[in-house]
Amino acid sequence: MVSEDERFELRVKFTKKGGLKYISHLDLARTVRSAFLRARLPVWYTLGFNPHPKFNFSLPLSVGTSSECEFMDIMLTEKLDGSKVTEMLNAAFPPDLRVTDAYYPTTKFSQIGWAEYELDITSPYASDELAGRILDALDGDINIVKKSKSGMKPMNIAPYVRNASCTFADGKLIFRVLLSCGENTFVNPKYLIDHLEEALPTEFADADYTTCRTQVYYDDGVTVFT
Amino acid sequence: MRIPEKILKKVEKPGRYVGGEWGQVIKDKKDVNVRFAFCFPDTYEIGMSNLGVRILYDIMNKIPDVWCERAYAPWTDMEDYMRANDIPLWAIESSDELREFDIVGFTLQYELCYTSVLNMLNLAKIPLLSADRGADSPIVVCGGPCAYNAEPMADFVDIFIIGEGEYAMTDLIDEYRKYKSGMSKEDFLHEAAKIEGFYVPSMYTVEYNPDGTIKRYVPKYDDVPMKIKKRIVADMDKSPFPENLVMPYIETVQDRIVLEVYRGCIRGCRFCQAGMTYRPVREKTVETLNEQAKKLAENTGYDEITLSSLSISDYSCIDHLTDEMLKWTDDRKISLSLPSLRVNSFTKELMDKISTVRTGGITFAPEAGTQRLRDVINKNITKEELLRACHVAFAGGKTQVKLYFMQGLPTETDEDLDGILELSRDVIEEFYHTPERMKRTPQVTLSTACFIPKPFTPFQWEAQCDYDELIRRQRYVVSQNNDRRIKYNYHNAAVSRIEAVFARGDRKLCAVLSEAARRGMRLDSWEEFFDYEQWLDVFAAVGIDPAFYANREFGEDEWLPWDVIDVGVSKEFLLRERHNAHAGKTTVSCAEKCSGCGANKLGGECTWCPKTKDSN
Repeated sequence: MVSEDERFELRVKFTKKGGLKYISHLDLARTVRSAFLRARLPVWYTLGFNPHPKFNFSLPLSVGTSSECEFMDIMLTEKLDGSKVTEMLNAAFPPDLRVTDAYYPTTKFSQIGWAEYELDITSPYASDELAGRILDALDGDINIVKKSKSGMKPMNIAPYVRNASCTFADGKLIFRVLLSCGENTFVNPKYLIDHLEEALPTEFADADYTTCRTQVYYDDGVTVFT
Repeated sequence: MRIPEKILKKVEKPGRYVGGEWGQVIKDKKDVNVRFAFCFPDTYEIGMSNLGVRILYDIMNKIPDVWCERAYAPWTDMEDYMRANDIPLWAIESSDELREFDIVGFTLQYELCYTSVLNMLNLAKIPLLSADRGADSPIVVCGGPCAYNAEPMADFVDIFIIGEGEYAMTDLIDEYRKYKSGMSKEDFLHEAAKIEGFYVPSMYTVEYNPDGTIKRYVPKYDDVPMKIKKRIVADMDKSPFPENLVMPYIETVQDRIVLEVYRGCIRGCRFCQAGMTYRPVREKTVETLNEQAKKLAENTGYDEITLSSLSISDYSCIDHLTDEMLKWTDDRKISLSLPSLRVNSFTKELMDKISTVRTGGITFAPEAGTQRLRDVINKNITKEELLRACHVAFAGGKTQVKLYFMQGLPTETDEDLDGILELSRDVIEEFYHTPERMKRTPQVTLSTACFIPKPFTPFQWEAQCDYDELIRRQRYVVSQNNDRRIKYNYHNAAVSRIEAVFARGDRKLCAVLSEAARRGMRLDSWEEFFDYEQWLDVFAAVGIDPAFYANREFGEDEWLPWDVIDVGVSKEFLLRERHNAHAGKTTVSCAEKCSGCGANKLGGECTWCPKTKDSN
């Protein structure tokens, strides 16, 4: 048996914005992998026939959604300072991918329970009044059809949606909401948009929107995950 | 980003359109005097893999006041949204519209991209015809392998760059600066036509004979050349090669470092255009290559390097190069790969060294089924060499071999088609004669392409088989194959026929392309969009017989549409080689003896060409 090298798991917090939000998880992983080589980061490689660096992302992020708080855990062979790793990675990452923090974690990704999203909605109908109707549309059951590997599944996601707020400012609607990240209760913000498009077809016909994940919380939905 | 979010959210692979990759060049517009849009008339995934684009993007962006950006053909879903929402085609880096650029350049990698070039101009709202583009439109230039005979594109293109672009692009930009400082477009094109390697089609009028063949080319001015000489890079070691690449987010066709080892080919297969047009052979030294590879690996973070050339195993220092590179690539978990191998260079040592050879499939290209036909095409490999190489592969644990052939080659008979299957059966036999073989059933996959006569090859005068005959020969092989261990794949004969038409086309085909563009045809290199019936209909509509170009034997004394280009290799040599082919006589490689092709007159530091060595 080959003895395993000493290795250190480091948590990297990063933002994913601009054009990069249209890049899938798999493609992000390839980008990160090449950045490790560019940065000459002492990453640990798996043993075996096809050695590769090991890293995990915290949560899935839909293509088209940007994020201010993504996490990945990476494995190093040297216990470098977080600030040093931040510097090395930022020099090697494309501009739309920025490391905001790096530290040796004491928690697990499975402890994440909720994520907060901000949707900026532009619509010719945007107004204070529409903001109110959007919140009304989310009051009560929110029945959606969830696509999964096993097929289409009708589901009421209302229990997994919290703290929805909507304001009208500078000609656009700013909609904030907390959505569950549980393994079987993960709510994609797309479901809410679909629901709103159905409930308010005229107002959403010409609407365009951006989605951003702004914060991640523990199970309680209050304490910020680190 | 100018593309509305709601469109990006709906299209397939939005990563194709957003840019922002590591290594892309962003400049401040106020420091920029010349803006160049480098367009690839196919999808992002294909265009991002092109080595020529990588080299020229780097060269142009190294000039401080020049900004070279990229543009690709949108996929049809995006095209529909663009047309519905009136969004003109834009360049990736700045998101600015193509029509705002100074120069719009296309690389012509294959004939079937012509419709996509026109569709991209149309999407960019740039007038298609050169004559319709005034001072407020960009200059449209084209280069790449098809520029050697792009007469079917003559009406649409202002300038063709003939040959290698490394130094030609700077000449183009310098000339453009003069144009911008006050010169008519006509004067600019006239001046450009005098630069070596610059073919300005509007500077020549073409006269035809009553039978439709070309009578002659008449230059518009006395001081534009009768023949445009191909540009080459004399010294490959000093030739600019990028130290950085744009790193695509989404997976591309060649998602790795492509290290160009040398240009040209010493072999002289008589059907091969690249083998002739890239002459004379010029190598880089091991030191240069190792240095370039190291820098690229450091700067890009790619973990795979492909050693690229027309016939990589003919590189005179291939063992030394791979040894030097393996000294550092293994440590950095970088793998080496080779694109194609000749059977005589396939050895156990190589198999152990090169990871893709170790893990991937094995492909050889005998090209023809019998020794007679292999002699005709000058593919100088024997059955014994092929079986020896397969033996090595089988002993090394392989059970599958892919074999490439061409069908419809000049002088081909059904006996040669039988030979394809016989050779495949011999390979299967060889498997059972390999004591170290795996305990599995062997598999031979045959892939056959249809022969397409190409300009600047000894076969440039040959007729392509009629369409029905191509189909018959494919069906014949299907009917003769009763071995389940032999799998037979063949190319679409209709695609090959249209390719043949445009490969040997003249300016009369501009009308065909105009009509194709009017009908919105594009992405013809994609099987799902290629529509043979539609093409035949287009030819009929403009009154042009495709058989005149594809299925006619061109006269040896005929003025060929590409005779206006001097590619280095002489017409006399090509003719001699054609006659050798029909006499079944082979010609040895440049390494053994100079066959007098004429390319040495272009100069260049090269290893193999004895004549050039003498003159240096």
